[in-house]
Amino acid sequence: METPHEKTPADNRRGFIAQAIALVCGGVSVLIPAAVGIVAWFNPLRQKGQAGEPIKLASLAALPEDGTPRKFPVIADRSDAWNMFPNEPIGAVFLRRTADNQVKAYQVICPHAGCSIQYESTEEGGKFFCPCHQANFALDGRRTDKTSPSPRDMDSLEAEIRNDTEVWVRFQNFETGTSKKTAKA
Amino acid sequence: MKSLLNWIEDRTGLIGAARSYLDAPVPGGSSPAKVLPCTILFAFIVQAVTGFFIWMYYSPSAQTAWESVYFLQHEVSGGWLLRSIHHYSAQVMLVLIGIYVVQMICSGSYRAPREFVFWIAVLMGICCLCLMLTGDLLAWDQNSHGATQVRVNFLTLLPLIGGDAYKLAAGGPAFGHLTLTRFLALHIGVFAGGLLLLLILHGVLSRRTTAAEAERLSSAPPLWPNQAALNAVACAVILIVVLLLCGRHEVGLGAPADPDPANFFAAARPEWAFLGLYEFSHLFPGELMILPIFVIPGVLVCTVLAMPWIGRSRAGQLFNVGFTFFMLVALAVLSVKSVVHDMHNEGHQAALSEAAQQADRVVELARGPQGIPATGALTLLRNDPKTQGPRLFKLHCASCHNHADAEGNGILAEESSAPNLHEFASREWLTGLLDPEQIKGPEYFGATKLKGGDMVAFVEDLLSDLEDDEREEVRKIVMALSAQAKLKSQRELDAKDAVAIEEGQSLLMDDYGCADCHKFHDKGQLGGAPDLTGYGSREWIVGIIGNPAHKQFYGKRNDRMPAYAELPDDSAENILSAKQIGLLTDWLRGEWYEYCP
Repeated sequence: METPHEKTPADNRRGFIAQAIALVCGGVSVLIPAAVGIVAWFNPLRQKGQAGEPIKLASLAALPEDGTPRKFPVIADRSDAWNMFPNEPIGAVFLRRTADNQVKAYQVICPHAGCSIQYESTEEGGKFFCPCHQANFALDGRRTDKTSPSPRDMDSLEAEIRNDTEVWVRFQNFETGTSKKTAKA
Repeated sequence: MKSLLNWIEDRTGLIGAARSYLDAPVPGGSSPAKVLPCTILFAFIVQAVTGFFIWMYYSPSAQTAWESVYFLQHEVSGGWLLRSIHHYSAQVMLVLIGIYVVQMICSGSYRAPREFVFWIAVLMGICCLCLMLTGDLLAWDQNSHGATQVRVNFLTLLPLIGGDAYKLAAGGPAFGHLTLTRFLALHIGVFAGGLLLLLILHGVLSRRTTAAEAERLSSAPPLWPNQAALNAVACAVILIVVLLLCGRHEVGLGAPADPDPANFFAAARPEWAFLGLYEFSHLFPGELMILPIFVIPGVLVCTVLAMPWIGRSRAGQLFNVGFTFFMLVALAVLSVKSVVHDMHNEGHQAALSEAAQQADRVVELARGPQGIPATGALTLLRNDPKTQGPRLFKLHCASCHNHADAEGNGILAEESSAPNLHEFASREWLTGLLDPEQIKGPEYFGATKLKGGDMVAFVEDLLSDLEDDEREEVRKIVMALSAQAKLKSQRELDAKDAVAIEEGQSLLMDDYGCADCHKFHDKGQLGGAPDLTGYGSREWIVGIIGNPAHKQFYGKRNDRMPAYAELPDDSAENILSAKQIGLLTDWLRGEWYEYCP
């Protein structure tokens, strides 16, 4: 009868080295292409969104004097990966005149999930309304539903009147779904 | 033949493997209740095959995705059927997996040693849902684009990683090319590939446990031929159901996605399978949105995955079944509630019909002689007066002007205080203008300061109580004036009435004294009243929209209409660009591409 071959310390060491080589070499060889792919996949995190420079959005004359809001498109250059589209509508803003001859600007994007808010004139003077999940807002952007789908009021934008005739707005996009208004990075 | 099979078997073992598959025992005998796994596999094969052939036509970029799907739908023989089968088979596969999982829960067959079989079935359902979510966007039409934006926006609800998660899903700070490429890779590589792996794994593990069960039972006939026959019939029925769905309601294609957030598709709704969750999320205020979107579904899925443990006791099994039916009923009730609510929502229905019109219009334009430009089908819509005219009119003109027919169909102003521009400069419109009963009315100058002006006085004095021959003369003047506009809709009429038009012109210039105030070609001068030369023509309308207070038009008598392009050279300071005024003008004049067979 053969005695079973007992493992000598030399065998153990060799076995261990073989296993280590198998795992490390094999692992690294497989992981490196995967890592290259994953690094490439994370590239979108390097990109930033729109910078918020004030732009001339409209002339004051275009705004109704009774404070009815009007929607104005924001025209700017838009880049999409490898394309650059000059002078495209990249968003829209509601402008309305307020009593003290100032101008208020609101983002058209609903802070809930990103649909486009619409203005509706009603008997009581008008309201903002989002058709996707039926959120209602007053003319100053406040939520008017008891439990509104929107986590915060309509996003206001910095607006100023220059030369008594021009309305300039600092256009920005904000993250949706959050109760705090944060600009999209 | 036998020797060939033996030759392959000796070298590969494949024939033996196929035979053992066909000989697999069916514990408890063949029955229709056991067809489900095979039908799910069948649905997957249908998806894989149709999906592969669709893939042969599909191009995932923001300028070519919709366009390639349009091509498949309209220009490839059987393309519409390919898409429809792919769409309905996906829905059917989800239902089949759902029934299968419910069947497993009710029969308690998630218990040891079949836990993994159960979990894999649940994961297959989740894969199927993810396939629907990713596949939806690929057509890049208004509905799927809008719905997917809302869904991906939900990622920002996640604390800390939300913003980054959004960018990774969308491929950047906003939707675009990279969103499509990512979704396609996920659709095919991750979820379809993953589902295939799960199906294989499910098959292998299921056979393992079934074989163990069959040892204990006396009756365990082979799969082939009886159960196989039942399976085949079931698959045929599934195919017939899918084809019937295709025939009854062919899958369409909405208008191409518009990246302009202001044109976000207001009637975007999720697919039927998500309507219950959609409606459920309405019960929560905005700040707590993370609950119905992530937390609660997460808890529910974990509960389902934990069922093998919960179901170890009799009470646990009852809970599992009860929980399942409660979920199904709740989802069904919420889904129905959502559908009914939308059916009665006028705004939603209006948005849906506008979307359908746009979808038809873009196909009509795409089939035109110029085809789809390299910048994509959206360019066709953006340059189409029929589509853009009403939008621009509503935004810039409808505060004062109506554009509606006699029944009030069309665009109605918030407060009509200017002439109704429907069919402006047509013979009907001019007849109304020169009618003493109408010129002071709301359709013409009634709400303007011209109500008390010279033209109204002229019409009332000279054009009241006319004799028949005078009436005929006014008719000719109307024809002559309307012919100045060169309206597309009147081209034939104007040609036919050339003689009357010439007579009308001389009546206009001489007999009726219009040229005393209005310039008309060589007669008369500018400044007193609008130029009648080329009245209603493209240049004329472009001119008056640009600056109605120009002496060629109303001059100092201009009431309130603003000048939309006062500065020369298409200055960016103007309210409207030359392109926008051109689109408005063409729309007002009925000048847009129409398909004529």
